Amino acid sequence: MNVSGMLYGAQLLKIVDFPASEVLGPEASDHEIHNLIERCGSVFVKPIFKGGIGKKGKSGLIGRAKDLKSALAEKERLYFCEYKVGDVVYKSRGVTFEGAVPAQHEIYFSITDSTRYRAPVMTLTHHGGMDIEELDKSQIIEVPFDPLTGLKSFVISNALSDLGAPREIVSPLVQHLPKLWDLYHHYGMSTMELNPIRMMEGKSGSLIPVACDFKCGFDRDDPRVNRLKLPDDLFVTESNDFEQEINELRTYQGQSDVYVINDKGTILAPTFGGGANSLVTEVLGNDAIISSDFGGNPPYEKMYDVMRICLKYYLKQSNVLFVIGGKANNTDIFVTFRAMADALRDYFSEHGPTPLYVVIGRGGPNVIRGMGVFKDVLDSLRIPYRIFGFDSAMTDVVNYAQEADRWMKSGGRAEVAKVLGLPADA
Amino acid sequence: MRKPGIENFKYFVGIRSLADIATREDRICVLNIMGNESRAVTPVSHAYSGGNVVFGTSPGRRGQVLETPAGNIPVYNNVREGLDAGHKFNVGVVYLPPSAVRDGVAELIRINPDIEKVIILTEKIAVHDAREIRALGQQRGVDIFGGNCLGVADSWNNVRIGGALGGDKPAETLRKGSVAIFSNSGNFTTTIANYLSIGGWGTTTLISSGKDIYINYAAPEFAFAMSNDARTKAAVLYSEPGGYYEQSVTFDKPVVACVVGRWKANLTRAVGHAGAIAGSGDDARAKEKWFMDKFGVNDLFTPENPVCSKKGAVVTNIAHIPQALTAVMKLNGVEKDFAPEGNLELKPWFGDDQGLKLPAALNIPVVKAMSPYDEQIAELLKNVGAIFPRQSMKDCSGSSVMDPKTQVTKVNNISILDTAKQPLESNLCLALVREHNDANDNILFNLAVAARVNLHGEPMLAAADAAREAGNAPNTAISAAVALLGPKRVDGARQAADTLTELFAHSGLSKGDDEQAKITPATATPEQLATLLGKAPDAQAEALLKAFDKRGAKSVFVRYLRSLNGHPTTDAVIAALTTTIAWEPLIRKRISRLTVRNLPWYAHLFAVIIGASTESKNHQPGKFWGVSNEEMLESWTVTQLAYLALLGEKPTAANLFPFQVMLGLIISNGVGTISAQGCKGAVSADGPESPERVQINKGMIGFLTHTGFAHGGNGYEGIQFLIESFKGTPLADASTANHGLDLKKMATEFALAFNKEKKVNKALGVPVRSIPGVNHPVFKGHPVNHDPREVYIADLFAERGEKNIFHDYYRTLVQALYDNGVTANVFCVNIDAIIAAMLLKLLWSRYRKGEFSESSMEMAAFTAFLFGRMAGCAGEIDDHINRGRNMDTRTPASQCSHVS
Repeated sequence: MNVSGMLYGAQLLKIVDFPASEVLGPEASDHEIHNLIERCGSVFVKPIFKGGIGKKGKSGLIGRAKDLKSALAEKERLYFCEYKVGDVVYKSRGVTFEGAVPAQHEIYFSITDSTRYRAPVMTLTHHGGMDIEELDKSQIIEVPFDPLTGLKSFVISNALSDLGAPREIVSPLVQHLPKLWDLYHHYGMSTMELNPIRMMEGKSGSLIPVACDFKCGFDRDDPRVNRLKLPDDLFVTESNDFEQEINELRTYQGQSDVYVINDKGTILAPTFGGGANSLVTEVLGNDAIISSDFGGNPPYEKMYDVMRICLKYYLKQSNVLFVIGGKANNTDIFVTFRAMADALRDYFSEHGPTPLYVVIGRGGPNVIRGMGVFKDVLDSLRIPYRIFGFDSAMTDVVNYAQEADRWMKSGGRAEVAKVLGLPADA
Repeated sequence: MRKPGIENFKYFVGIRSLADIATREDRICVLNIMGNESRAVTPVSHAYSGGNVVFGTSPGRRGQVLETPAGNIPVYNNVREGLDAGHKFNVGVVYLPPSAVRDGVAELIRINPDIEKVIILTEKIAVHDAREIRALGQQRGVDIFGGNCLGVADSWNNVRIGGALGGDKPAETLRKGSVAIFSNSGNFTTTIANYLSIGGWGTTTLISSGKDIYINYAAPEFAFAMSNDARTKAAVLYSEPGGYYEQSVTFDKPVVACVVGRWKANLTRAVGHAGAIAGSGDDARAKEKWFMDKFGVNDLFTPENPVCSKKGAVVTNIAHIPQALTAVMKLNGVEKDFAPEGNLELKPWFGDDQGLKLPAALNIPVVKAMSPYDEQIAELLKNVGAIFPRQSMKDCSGSSVMDPKTQVTKVNNISILDTAKQPLESNLCLALVREHNDANDNILFNLAVAARVNLHGEPMLAAADAAREAGNAPNTAISAAVALLGPKRVDGARQAADTLTELFAHSGLSKGDDEQAKITPATATPEQLATLLGKAPDAQAEALLKAFDKRGAKSVFVRYLRSLNGHPTTDAVIAALTTTIAWEPLIRKRISRLTVRNLPWYAHLFAVIIGASTESKNHQPGKFWGVSNEEMLESWTVTQLAYLALLGEKPTAANLFPFQVMLGLIISNGVGTISAQGCKGAVSADGPESPERVQINKGMIGFLTHTGFAHGGNGYEGIQFLIESFKGTPLADASTANHGLDLKKMATEFALAFNKEKKVNKALGVPVRSIPGVNHPVFKGHPVNHDPREVYIADLFAERGEKNIFHDYYRTLVQALYDNGVTANVFCVNIDAIIAAMLLKLLWSRYRKGEFSESSMEMAAFTAFLFGRMAGCAGEIDDHINRGRNMDTRTPASQCSHVS
């Protein structure tokens, strides 16, 4: 749940009265763009990517224009541009026009929660406007502070003293930067970065910090984000109906975390527990369709719904349904397995059978009753299966599931199809 | 004021030794003790720890108690009330929902001056609250564990606090030993302890740290406390990517670190553990390196490459932990805590290949589970057959489903296009045992039905005749007979089926016809024997057994009956036949015991429906329509018997096939049909939750009374239309290609006449009649329309080189209707047309000879429908008995409407 850029950044900063550069959205008229250039001398044209995508400037994805014609040319170039980060290609959905802010000083400022200090930490430098990683450690200061008192002026002042910052920037920053803590702490953020803040000369000659770029990450578990009334689809990084549907079930009682790893995968692995999730994701790699954590003793209805959605989207392509977890502490295996088995049975009723091999590994409360109910459904659906106890090494069970997948790929699927009365290519 | 913490830390840490984390002296207050999770977990923890929970809070529930095996725990509205009541505690456990956790921690810290430790179980705490909770604990000098953790436990003290480490049987996993566990994963804390005990290592203190961004009790504190715990000789530390907690930790005792999550670097957001998302410097590889540097090793430990030092080893697979620990401790000269209790090899507790030949790597035999799970499994396996969960079965079926797109129905996952290729006996069994018969099953079922078709001397026959004479349609007449086949009449056979199931349930027999199987049934009690054997020889039973031999049938149960010293009854022989058919699906839990028990009843009902469809004059002593009982038993099939009952003659092979196809096509049209609704309503009204009381014959009457001249009898309309069209032609044989008729001319003439009639009627405002067998509400709107079922049947007969002039006429007709402007596009020939064409073809020559009147033709069409549909409806009845709830087919008043 990230937001980057000034289109929303300026709106967020306005809540705490932090000055921000002028910005126009993709719908801006020629007249408005022209006026902005007139006022600011030039504009930056930036593509809008959903989520927080960094380092656009380095990739040539930021245009600068001093007249309307070049601004429109940049708009045309960047409006639907693509940006590759790792294996993921992001597509722009419009551009913003941001008024240039003339300044001599550029500031980098961020707040995040640090696992080194186990406290919120402010990072500050007056050598901003560039990648923070490229600066010498002595040019940056990192200051943990007490969240109960918050980021106070004296923290900023001390930090600027330690940095040896030019004195003309000290007072404006000491006045304005504490406002950002309010934005960070009270609206559900877990990271915030302003880079650069340009120190613009005000009417009286004193400097005013103006945020010229903005990034933040929101905590998906914090309902305070809703105070901002941001559009619902802002955080949908890539349209994925499956995750969308699953995440609607996200409540505190029982996990329902799912991440699509490979929508062409062949092992559908509902996983229980964060640890099992790490391990299974690790061993299955790209064979897995999803990475998931359904632990936390979900109630029947929730487990049934989660499973129903998983099956709806991915069972047809799956060779192996792989239900895996360690020896549960609290999750009732009878409840969760009954829900999953019922969902599988109902899938077969609704969509007809599909060739499948089922591998299960689990321990915990009511494990035998749970396994029994799964076994009954698998027997009645005529699906081959193995159910392992918690005294089998979980990684070996994962390897077994992969072996089953290999067999299914090399002719096994057709054989199972035959048993189910389906054509060989089902 | 903040209490003084341990001087080694820049921040507050109060716990000096792992031995102090979960002690016998700790006294606990549980916030939200009556919440779902706590209600399940707290009683187990309390009992295991010798009753250490002094009270719990749950706003508005003051005065209630949480019952536990170690006595009741009192509940108060808040912490202050509990303290006022005189309770004292030093540990707070938080089960509150995420939004309430911060305030709960504040309550514990601010209200109770004695608080030392807080354990937070709740998941999905907002980072905002987590940072404040951390600060609160630091400010007042309280050690906090979690959030999103599963608590702490001590195997020496038999104490667990907070979460459910060790599950519902903590003593099974928390075995006293020398190894401390610190794990980011709650589940893995237990799983690692479990793996260690299998490998011969017990535990001291177990800590589930949680893996949120804020981990309050983290690796540095653990390392320090481990150093001061004399019981702990080594530790296992399970760590996931994200966070710098482990980076600068130093251990002075051996440690096996398990780092899992290299692949997680590919994820862009956390799944499950909120803090398990790494930047560039704290991913899994970085963490592996941190630990390798600490231990002075240059590689990961694997069984093939067991790299370790005295200081420790790094693994990435939790299954390697026991081995790595043993190797590290060997270098330190420390032996295992106890003898290993097994191994972590693959041990399937359940498995089924479903008859597939699996490769060796997959074909791992099922093994006996460890105690006490082996006993639980044995108990579980005593249940024979499927147990279906009960639910409302209104408009819902586990037997049939119609695809609304293709209008093709499937019965137990078999399309009616495929049931059309099967004989009636196989389709009747498919509906009940959920699988088609093999050849032996067909023989057995043919025997079971043939034994009861001749109703000579039965009051059922008189009842049917009387109903017929009163002017009733075939369905009503048959209903009268079926009403007399109540539960009392079939008790003997049902008891025999029960006895056979009980005796063989645990014998290991997997197939009822596997006469070579080396199995020993249980020894029958005298009561059980009485359900199988009579005092004197039973002539019909002997005739059945003779026919059984003559047909070369196989049945373990018949063989068993013969092995008994006595005279098997007819009921017992029939039960043996039906149980043989049902055995494999029963053992594979496709069907329930109830279905097996009722199968003789269904077989008897099918026989009566076929028998009572024809007048009593055709039932003679020892003969049915002139065919001897002996001959029927020894060679006739159910399909042939149905043909005989309907048409009064023995079918030729050429006649039998279209008859079989026709019956197979109509066995079901889904649960929405009136016939299905009728039989389900009858079951629902008897109350399927007491399945013994459901009158299956009444269910069949429900089906029969929910057919009629419009539903089932309408097959005749097509026949009538065809008779009208062909009456004036010289056609003698409907199967010849050289019939000499100009079908196109006939169709064109009809189309023109119909068009004229249509125009006249339109002008007069009279409704325009529809042509039976043409058009379909689903298969319409294209330039040329087809009912896929009609296409399938046409192809099937074309493949066999069989002609049906009536079917050809229908196909010519829909084109002619379009060519002459009667229809906007080429309408489809529908499934009703096919049925009419097939039946009329069979009867045409006899109709022409005057042997079959038009009214008999109408009755025959209706009866044929009943023969086919009784299969599907029997399936619906059985399904509803197994799954339904009492009175579940009723419609709530809110969904009913009124007209005046």
